[in-house]
Amino acid sequence: MQQAAFFRVEGTLLDRPALAAAAWLAGNARGLGGRALRLGNVAFAAPLSLASSLASGATATRVTWMGLRGMTEDRVEVLAEEYYDEYVQDDLMDVGRRLLDRARKDGRRIVLLSDNIEQIAGRLAEALEADDLICNRLEISRGKATGRLEEPVVGSHLAGQWARGFAKENDIDLDLSWAYGAHAGDSLLLSAIGKPCVVDPDFRLRRIARDNDWPVVER
Amino acid sequence: MSVVSVDSTGTAAPPPIVETFRGKHILVTGVTGFVGKVWLSMVLTELPQIRKFTLLARGRKGVGAKARFEEIAERSPALRPLRELYGSDFRQLLRDKVDVVDARLSADLCGLSEAEADALMADVDLVVHVAGLTDFEPDPPLAIEANLRGALNVAELAKRSAGKRMLHISTCFVAGRPSREVPESLEHGISPLGVKFDPRQELEELSADMASLATVRARTDHAMARGQRLGWPNIYTYTKGLAEHLLLMTPELRVSILRPAIVECARSFPMLGWNEGINTSGPLVWLLGTTFCRFPSRATNHFDVVPVDTVARGMILAAAELLRDEGREIYHVASGQRNPLTFGRAVELTALAWRRIHGRKQATTFESLVLRHLEARPVEADGDRLLDVNTVRRIARSVRSLLKGRDATTALPERMRADLGDSLNKRMKSASMKARNLDRQLGRVDDMLRTYRPFIHDHDWIYETTALPAATARLSEDERARFGFDVDDIDWRSYWLDVQVPGLEMWCIPILKGDSVPEDEPLPFNAVGRIAARAKSDEPTDESKRGPSACPEAADGPRPQRSVSA
Repeated sequence: MQQAAFFRVEGTLLDRPALAAAAWLAGNARGLGGRALRLGNVAFAAPLSLASSLASGATATRVTWMGLRGMTEDRVEVLAEEYYDEYVQDDLMDVGRRLLDRARKDGRRIVLLSDNIEQIAGRLAEALEADDLICNRLEISRGKATGRLEEPVVGSHLAGQWARGFAKENDIDLDLSWAYGAHAGDSLLLSAIGKPCVVDPDFRLRRIARDNDWPVVER
Repeated sequence: MSVVSVDSTGTAAPPPIVETFRGKHILVTGVTGFVGKVWLSMVLTELPQIRKFTLLARGRKGVGAKARFEEIAERSPALRPLRELYGSDFRQLLRDKVDVVDARLSADLCGLSEAEADALMADVDLVVHVAGLTDFEPDPPLAIEANLRGALNVAELAKRSAGKRMLHISTCFVAGRPSREVPESLEHGISPLGVKFDPRQELEELSADMASLATVRARTDHAMARGQRLGWPNIYTYTKGLAEHLLLMTPELRVSILRPAIVECARSFPMLGWNEGINTSGPLVWLLGTTFCRFPSRATNHFDVVPVDTVARGMILAAAELLRDEGREIYHVASGQRNPLTFGRAVELTALAWRRIHGRKQATTFESLVLRHLEARPVEADGDRLLDVNTVRRIARSVRSLLKGRDATTALPERMRADLGDSLNKRMKSASMKARNLDRQLGRVDDMLRTYRPFIHDHDWIYETTALPAATARLSEDERARFGFDVDDIDWRSYWLDVQVPGLEMWCIPILKGDSVPEDEPLPFNAVGRIAARAKSDEPTDESKRGPSACPEAADGPRPQRSVSA
């Protein structure tokens, strides 16, 4: 059985949350009216994301990306490429890069979990030469985004059950594997993996890490 | 016992294309044009087994046909793969394989004497007629000469050839009105509107009418009306459509007609993105990158685009079938049925491509802050819109009439006249000139949109495209990769963003702006007899297998270029 290193992309490798990407894409929709409408949608998702309980994390993620409804697949692809070039590729967190390089050096399988959509997260996974990418996928129908995400919706609610299923499917020993997270929502995943590690955590995760005696890596 | 190979369609496989072309002598017209150049270059590059090309061309501006062709051969990027392949032997290749005959297609026997025509054609296996006038609304006699009489005169020559075969390049848009699925066939003597007519009589009456009308406007209006009565929306499609009917009536001649849709930038041959001159989509794409980004088109209509190298491949396939005496009457080179692109998608992709261009570091502030966010969209042609072309023209004219000839100093208090009067007058004069230029520019835009309207807004055609895919299915895997009909493989997003718009930006839009486009420096020539050995070889050399340079900044570095004035 092999060992893996699970990285929650937002917080360990990227400073910007997926909400920022969704807002940027919405803000570059065609036409001023379309932009305002979509940005309003994303703005609605922001407090939902912050206030939501872990159980309703999927709802917040769904609402976040709902603003892209009706946007053409061509536009999503082009804007995602632009967003990646401008805000992602040169803006990776050093601490995350170091942890990822070490995990690879130690022979662990690199698994990225991202709330971002495939068009952005896929480019990052390719650049980082990750072995697996678990991210959100926009449902596309007749060349346009429907505003829905394909199942499974990826977010902080993905936890033990998902991790055990993934490990079984890919012959991974979860007890000897590592997981890296930065937000309180990531604690579900961290607690399901044998070797959890928190990276520059928010205050809630810092408290959880202290209670559970998880190692903390600062920037 | 003989062994017959069977292709994927279950029928006996035809001989390879290289064998079909081996030792053949082909007479071609229109090699100085966009499609003709690419086809000639592709055949000479990929099919060195061919024995000879005779090119019928016309001199221009005191330069003979031969010198004109040599200039094109040495400088045109279309022939770059060939120059790179043959290097110092390129000129020798032309001497060995290409004859240029000064000809005037609108004259009987293309301006050749009976004896010259018989001597020339006795050895010709196939005639490929690419020449034509592609202006939508030219002075009709010019279109009649080029598209009708020219085609018929070339057909007369082809009848005298050894092979008695002719491949005629037409256009899908001879389908005319109304919108429909267009079959890959021609009902002889039936117009697009289903009207029975006599093509010969139509030509004679049209020619007689033209002779009796004094002005270009009168001739154009009359020819348009005649064409529209039969279902052809403009003079180009009218004359090309009529030529098809007349050619297929020619006795003792096997004629195949190849109808490309809108021919656009090359996917790979002669190089990524190559285009030439002002073609159909160039002005439209340019327009969408300006402030006039409301594009009169129906989003769900098909924008039937094919890359020029796909057309060249189609010509090779059709010519091969004709040479094997298996040619069909009509071949469509179109994408709409097999891999459709709609106007809605094309406009969106064009907007995204301009977004990229206007987001570059070298973009002006206006481009990056305004144009980049002012994105194109398809709109109804007759809808009322704020800031449509005519409204802006009216505003521009009003501004001009308000400013023209006015003396600003009279409106100023006396004490300010000395300080501000001259400066204000200069500014008013400049604004007046700008308003006039804007009015003129928009006039051209309005004309262009009116001319294109039947094709981008009013009608929607889907061209049946089965002949070339069927011909492709019968090829070996190697030949399918080299000559196969490849529209199914086109990823429109990647083509539009990475090939089409950058190609137009380099090769077409500068001409629209009155600038120059790059042209190659001639290679240093040093004839060495390497060609004969290569032509005898059955297999392409390693050198010939390499692809053409993908773009001017290909891996082997930028090529020397010189600018040529448009």
